[in-house]
Formats: sequence, C-alpha cells, structure tokens
Amino acid sequence: MQRNIQLLAFATMFVTTTSLVNAADLTKAYDMPDASKMIEKDLLAKPTKFTMPKGCVKDDAASIARGEFIFHNLNGKKAKGTPPEGLVKFVEKKGKDGKVKKKAKQYGNCVACHNIEGAKGGGNIGPDLTNYKKTFIDSKVRDNAFVFQKIADPRIDNPKTHMTVNLTTKLFTEQEICDLASYVVSDKSKK
Amino acid sequence: MKRVILPIALLVSLATAGEQFAMSDADRAMYKEMLENNPADIYVEEGGELLEENLGGEEALAKFLGVSEKELPKYIAGFPRYIKKLGNVVGIDQVLQAMQVEQGKEKTKLKDKKMFSMLAYVKSLANDEQFTIDINANEQIKASYDLGKKTFETARGGRGLSCLSCHSKDIVGQVLRTQPLPDLGEAGAGATWPAYRMTKSSLRTLQRRFQGCMKNALLKVIPIGSKEMVGLEVYVSTLAQEKKKPITIPGLKR
Ligand code: HEC
Ligand code: HEC
Repeated sequence: MQRNIQLLAFATMFVTTTSLVNAADLTKAYDMPDASKMIEKDLLAKPTKFTMPKGCVKDDAASIARGEFIFHNLNGKKAKGTPPEGLVKFVEKKGKDGKVKKKAKQYGNCVACHNIEGAKGGGNIGPDLTNYKKTFIDSKVRDNAFVFQKIADPRIDNPKTHMTVNLTTKLFTEQEICDLASYVVSDKSKK
Repeated sequence: MKRVILPIALLVSLATAGEQFAMSDADRAMYKEMLENNPADIYVEEGGELLEENLGGEEALAKFLGVSEKELPKYIAGFPRYIKKLGNVVGIDQVLQAMQVEQGKEKTKLKDKKMFSMLAYVKSLANDEQFTIDINANEQIKASYDLGKKTFETARGGRGLSCLSCHSKDIVGQVLRTQPLPDLGEAGAGATWPAYRMTKSSLRTLQRRFQGCMKNALLKVIPIGSKEMVGLEVYVSTLAQEKKKPITIPGLKR
C-alpha cells in the first residue's frame, strides 16, 4: 500500500514535470521561417530617371523583332517559336552552390496589360498601344524619350502607376528597353 | 461535411464572361459539374481522418485551444490568431504542428499535402461562419495585420510589383492577359481557401495561393508560415470579413 502511494506520487510528479517542460517548449514547436531578409533584398529601388542613349530607338528590323518578341511573351520557357537573333530563351546563372543552372529568360509580357497590333489575349490594365506611331508620335503628343523612360521606370511620369518597372529592377538591359521602345513606336500598318 | 455554396453572381459572371477570358464553354460546364462534387472533398475527409488518428480529433484540438467543442467553429473562424502558449499569431497549420510536438509525434511540414488536408478539414469546421478576427484584440494581432498590409503593399521583385499593383480597388475587374483581376474581399478569397485549384488539379491553401501570385509576378517567393505570410493571411481574411463572406471550405477555383 505504502509503496503504491509512493509510486503514484512519483508518477504524478513525473507527468506534471513533463507537461511543464512541454508547455515551455511550445513557442518553438512549430515552423515560422524568417522571410524579412528575403523581402529586404527584393525591394524596389526609388523611381529612377534614365537618359535615353544615342541611337536607342531606331527603325531597325532586328531591334524591332526583339522588342516584339519581348512584348508578347512572358519568359523563355513559355515562349513559342524561336526567338529572333540576339535574344535567347534560357540564360545560365551561377547558383549559391556554385553550380551553373539554366534559367528561363524573363520577357516583358507587356501584352498582359496592353493591346497592340497582333496581340493575343491582350489585357486592358494599360492603354491600347495599337496605332501608337500615328496617334502619339506623329501627332507629337509623345516622343521616343518618353516611351523609353516609361518602359524603363514608369513612376517618373506617374508615381501611382500600375505598370511594371523594367530597367531600375535590372530585369532588362538598356538595349532591351531600346528594342521594346523601337517596337512600340514602329510603323506596323504595312505588316 | 458541408458543401460549398458558390455565389450565384460568380456563376453568372463566369457564364457571361466574353471570349477574351480564359474559361471556355467546356471549362464552364466542367466547373458547374465540379460544384456539385468538389474533388477536394476527399482531401478534406482525409484531413479529418488524419486529425482523428494522429492527434485525437476535434476533442483534442478544442482542448489544446482551451475552448469547448461547441465553441470551436467560431473560434476557428478567428484564425490566424494570437495563441499565448505559442507566443505568436499563428495559422491553424502551426497549431497542428504544436499539437504534434506536444504529443511526441513527428511534425508535418507546413507545405506537406497532408498538412494542407488537415488544415482544410479544421477550417471547414467553421463553414457557414463569418470570420471573427478582431485586429484590436491584442497588440500581437494588430502588429500581424499591420505587417500583412505592409507586405501586401510592398513593391519588389524583377518587375517592381506589389500585391496592390494588381489587387487595388481602382483596377479590380480589368483584364490581365485573359484573367479579370479579382476583388479579394468580394471574391471571399480568405473564406474560400483551402480550395481545389482546377488548373493545378490539387488542393491549395491561401498561403500557397499567395506564393502562386508571387512566382508569377516575379516577387521572391516567401515561405509558408513566416510572419509576413501569416500577416498576409490575416489581412486578406479581414477583406472577406468586411464583405461578410461566410467560410466555405473547400472552395473551387479556376
Ligand atoms: C501590369 C500592367 C502593365 C504591364 C505589364 C505593362 N504596362 Fe505599360 N502601362 C500600364 C499602365 C496602367 C499604363 C498607363 C498609366 C501609366 O502611364 O502609368 C501604361 C503605359 C504604357 C505606355 C505609355 C502609353 C502612353 O503613351 O501614354 C507605354 C509605351 C507602355 N505602357 C509600354 C509597355 C511595355 C513596353 C511593357 C512591357 C515591358 C508594358 N508597358 C507593360 C500597365 C502595364
Ligand atoms: C501581376 C498581377 C498580380 C500580382 C502582382 C498579384 N496578383 Fe493575386 N491575382 C492576380 C490574378 C490575375 C488573379 C486571378 C487569377 C485566376 O483567376 O486564376 C489573382 C488571384 C489572387 C488570389 C485568389 C483570389 C480568389 O479568387 O480566391 C489571391 C488570394 C491573390 N491573388 C493574392 C495575391 C497576393 C497576396 C499578392 C502579392 C503577394 C498578389 N496576389 C499579387 C494577379 C496578381
């Protein structure tokens, strides 16, 4: 009898201490990974004004073709057909582990928000860019430098824009912005 | 198990949406058919079995949360919420992990399909309830809401976009490539995930859905269960709460 009570007391003590330990442990019992550093590194830089390089926007078939391809496609993995000369579907990037990985090259997917000549499933978040040359450039409402800056960083013209930022984020090179601008302002009426 | 009742308005808008939208007539027919028989029902059921076998079911859950079984649905409708003994504002999935650890079981990963199923089951206990999130209940939930709202509005990634770029009031309903932009409150997003995602043929949770938008828009994809993700869930859930959208799990999405 005496022994039984002792055992019971011991068992109760054991149970309460374990549950006490557990209770203290529960603040670490679940996963809550840190994301703040990932976000910190990913932040968008301040609105940036760019100077359009000389000979940037031009009536050059190769440049316009690249601009067109970037405009209508999301990335190299999803793009159909062969990209024009000077543009690739995949780029090689060195990972943290030092291994070289093939990554789909990102394109503009401008068509997600804009309609334009030949657009398939164009969105309407941005203005329709059909007939852009005639409506905006020939009429002198816009010039090439405006188009270049708009694509590079639209926030300079409109701080509250819904449009994507393309050069400040380094998603594209200056040359690629020139290609896009050349395509937007090109005369597509004869095509 | 309670079945999801989809708002008539959504069906009508799907049925009348023009050519430019991604849903074809065949898709719409399939959608209607699936409404009657949501493929995710079996995952929710599986989640219920896992909870029962692995953790002791609703009774154990209610006990862990310090509420009666009767109070459980309303209490669940308040998630994500601050749980004192866990020291943070947490999601249902994190509560389940803590229960597993307390019972000496192996912790299921937050992104594990089994966890998605269990989470869906537990949230479905609150079906037909409206959210009961009180962002002024304590400083922790207030901070979580604020962090969620901030995360929602922070522009980042390769295209300099934030969630708000595509989900602000002024552009709702406009078309992004064939997809009309949803009003997250009106769509009851917080109240209808976990959902069966037809285009992915699987059960997805709200935080997993956030990751989808991040990936598509080139925002660095942040991990499920992080403070920012829980905050986003709080924020997006309150949008559904403001519109008085009842919880209906599992949802059914394009
Ligand atoms: C997420 C939506 C979105 C995407 C993606 C987008 N745009 Fe835009 N774009 C807009 C909006 C909205 C405007 C008008 C408001 C403004 O100027 O900020 C605009 C304006 C423009 C204009 C100025 C039109 C004018 O003359 O007023 C040009 C040119 C343009 N976009 C080109 C592009 C190109 C090229 C791309 C792809 C690299 C692109 N856009 C991607 C939303 C978008
Ligand atoms: C580039 C545009 C864009 C960005 C940026 C974006 N989204 Fe979305 N989001 C969409 C579109 C388009 C849909 C509807 C897609 C569909 O119907 O499949 C959507 C759908 C959603 C849904 C599902 C709505 C429902 O019906 O239940 C949620 C939740 C969501 N977004 C949250 C977010 C969050 C959180 C972020 C930021 C991390 C974000 N989105 C960023 C375009 C965007």
